[in-house]
Amino acid sequence: MDILSPQLLYFLETILFATVLSMHLVKKNFVIISLYSLQSFIISILLFSATLREASLLLLGVAVATFFIKVIVAPYFFFRLIKKIRLHFLVSTYLNGPLILIVLALLTTFSHSQYFKPLTILAPGNENALLLTVGMIFISVFLIINRKGALSQMVGVLSLENAIVSFAFLAGLEQAPGPQLGIIFEIALWVVIATVFASMIYQQFGSLNVAAMVELKED
Amino acid sequence: MLAVSSQLAYFVSLMLFSIGAVGSLIVMKRNTLANIWGNTFAVFGSIVGLVSAVAVLFGSGFSFSFETSLPFLSLSVHVDKLSAFFIFVISLIAAVASVYGIGYVKQYYGKYNIGALGFFYNAFIAGMIMVVSAQHALFFLVVWEIMSLASYFLVIFENNESSHVRAGTLYFVMTHIGTAFITLAFLLLYSATGSFDFAMIKENSAGITPFMKDAIFILALIGFGTKAGIIPLHIWLPSAHPAAPTHISALMSGVMIKTGIYMFIRLFVEVLPNTPLWWGIVVLIIGAVSSLLGVLYAITEHDIKKLLAYHSIENIGIILLGLGSSLIFLAFDMKSLATLGLVASLFHIFNHATFKALLFLAAGSVISKTHTRNMEDYGGLIKLMPQTALFFLIGAMAISALPPFNGFFSEWMTFQSLFAGIRSADTSVQWAFILAAGSLAFTGGLAAACFVKTFGIIFLARPRSEHAKSAHESSVTLRFGMAVLALLTLAIGLSAGPIAVTLSKVAGDLNAFAGQPPAFAADWSAITLVDNFASVSGLLIFAMLTAFIFIVFFAVSIFTKNRKVHIGRTWDCGTNLDSRMEITATGFSRSLINIFRGVLKPTKQVTIEYRDEHMRYFHVTKTVEFGIRDIYQNYFYELIQLLVAKISEQMRRMQSGNVNVYVAYIIVALITLLVIMK
Repeated sequence: MDILSPQLLYFLETILFATVLSMHLVKKNFVIISLYSLQSFIISILLFSATLREASLLLLGVAVATFFIKVIVAPYFFFRLIKKIRLHFLVSTYLNGPLILIVLALLTTFSHSQYFKPLTILAPGNENALLLTVGMIFISVFLIINRKGALSQMVGVLSLENAIVSFAFLAGLEQAPGPQLGIIFEIALWVVIATVFASMIYQQFGSLNVAAMVELKED
Repeated sequence: MLAVSSQLAYFVSLMLFSIGAVGSLIVMKRNTLANIWGNTFAVFGSIVGLVSAVAVLFGSGFSFSFETSLPFLSLSVHVDKLSAFFIFVISLIAAVASVYGIGYVKQYYGKYNIGALGFFYNAFIAGMIMVVSAQHALFFLVVWEIMSLASYFLVIFENNESSHVRAGTLYFVMTHIGTAFITLAFLLLYSATGSFDFAMIKENSAGITPFMKDAIFILALIGFGTKAGIIPLHIWLPSAHPAAPTHISALMSGVMIKTGIYMFIRLFVEVLPNTPLWWGIVVLIIGAVSSLLGVLYAITEHDIKKLLAYHSIENIGIILLGLGSSLIFLAFDMKSLATLGLVASLFHIFNHATFKALLFLAAGSVISKTHTRNMEDYGGLIKLMPQTALFFLIGAMAISALPPFNGFFSEWMTFQSLFAGIRSADTSVQWAFILAAGSLAFTGGLAAACFVKTFGIIFLARPRSEHAKSAHESSVTLRFGMAVLALLTLAIGLSAGPIAVTLSKVAGDLNAFAGQPPAFAADWSAITLVDNFASVSGLLIFAMLTAFIFIVFFAVSIFTKNRKVHIGRTWDCGTNLDSRMEITATGFSRSLINIFRGVLKPTKQVTIEYRDEHMRYFHVTKTVEFGIRDIYQNYFYELIQLLVAKISEQMRRMQSGNVNVYVAYIIVALITLLVIMK
């Protein structure tokens, strides 16, 4: 039973795309984590629909694990980190607001250009949704590049992972439940380690701004 | 039958070198045994190599291919007459140098690892032989590297001397820059023809576009020119050749640099036919510049081995004059004259190998007794080392192109080739031939002047150091090596005609020259240009010189037989005669340096120590230091170094330590690849 029609799927992909765009525009760390949480929730819906389509208990386990790790555990750790180090506002980016908008427009255009048209044969009927996920991949990478704050970069990495999962879902490149569970487990570990590491970095440098971390560099 | 025996001899020769190399390492703890083992197997390997080469030169060639499990790599060997000629030269000089080495290496006992020397020495000779017989570009690169690395370890053999290690490092860097260019040239050949096999490349050469041919020419010219030591890629040569033990210097200077010339001929004449005119002009100009500047720098040197190394640059220039004129004639489809140019070039390769090896061995003989390479510390050695002096004199006369020794005949043929260019070539290229002929004339005169200085400073007058005073004649093995080469320089000169005929057959074996007789006729009596423009007879010159010497000798004897001989002290204004009154190498060369000061950029630094710093009337000491500014270092290599340093500085900025930037690099690289590969 397929509960996702192409229209609904496109709608969900549009929300995913909007979340990653919004991550570039919002100023508060709390909001960016919430956006990631929303993004992950939609990914869980996509995986749950696959469970119903395949009628597989293992896939249900994957969807539940994804929901638990990405929608509850990861945001929980990030909120705790924000609270612990009082990092409520995002401070700086390398590019200013107008330039960010220009780059976002360029990346979106590029993802819909002729270079990616051949990919659309992977998802007949969902071509536009697939190209949105490509754009989402680029914009997530751009989030990692443009933000100076380590927390935003972490969210950028997780958003990139969500974009890849979304792309795989649309293109029919999903892995078997075993590897998917492995990936979810790795993400859980990564979130724990990354937040602990960020906390240690803060203790060392008094900031999570990577531009301020110059003492470990060679002259 | 002859072909089978030549192939067998070729592989037996390589096997003997392998046994010599490995065996030297096995017995390395026993110096004498390691020395005798390494050099004896090198002698036998070289003699068998000579047999193989002669069989091909006077018979037919052979090919052999052994496929490997590695993709693209095939151990292909093809020995035609051109390869055989080079194998002959390599084996001949290696055989003599190895006999010399048995005696010469004794001075290193207890100081350095003789087993390692034997290993690298045999690997070096085997590498050179395989270089001139490799038929597959990748196999060629492998054996080229064997030759280069073995020679590098031989250059730094005396690794307690920091100058030798520095020379080795420079050689290592330069030779690998050259290899990079060679690799690029081979990759271009592969991309154009789809094969690394030289025969296949030749077959498919019609598909190579003119632009790509020109690019390959430039890359190969730089790559092989670095090994050949053409100016301005020569900077490694004057320091690396002298650093190696002398018999290896003889091989490096006499033979190894010719492997670069071999590949010039193989690529520019054989593999890439239909030579464009400008290739020949470029080679001719490089030859003219290298020969003239090589001899000018030699004149300024007082280190005997460095001086000889600079003369190698000069002689590579002379060889390129012949090759350049041959390429120009080929471009005009004048194959008879092109053969003349190539024969002149090959003949000079052979001659330079013999007389340069002779000069290095004689220099080594002097150095082993005086323990210095500085010519200012020699003097009067003709009385103490008369045989070495004679051998050096013969080598000096040969390199100065004085008849009846061999250098004269190859330079004569080179001149004829250039004169033919002036007479026959298009007016648009006559200027290049005129320039080249003028340069060669200058070079000959300056080389003679340089060796007047060298012989005079080393062997005449009085000893100028304690070591020179106590010098004595070298051991039998050293003298044997020199004697063989001295006889060869004379014998080659006397048999110049038959040798020229043999070399014309070597040239005729190449497709580019096939079907056309050379522009000269030669036999034992003379070499004559077919248009009767010029003719030379080695035997006649020898007979006339011998008769002249006898007549003078008898005339002097007759006219002075009743004259009383009074022996007295040389009058020198009432003071005692000592070595400080002799002209020095510096003094001799200073006038020549002043003439060419525009090119040589001499420097003079005067340091005076005064008795009273304020009054400055009376000197305690006054030191004058003359030098030559290294224009290549100052105006070429330092500029490149500066440029590379600037680029490196910019590149370093890329490594910011910022993760954002690294991610940006990744995404930019991915997008770029995506756009390019679409």
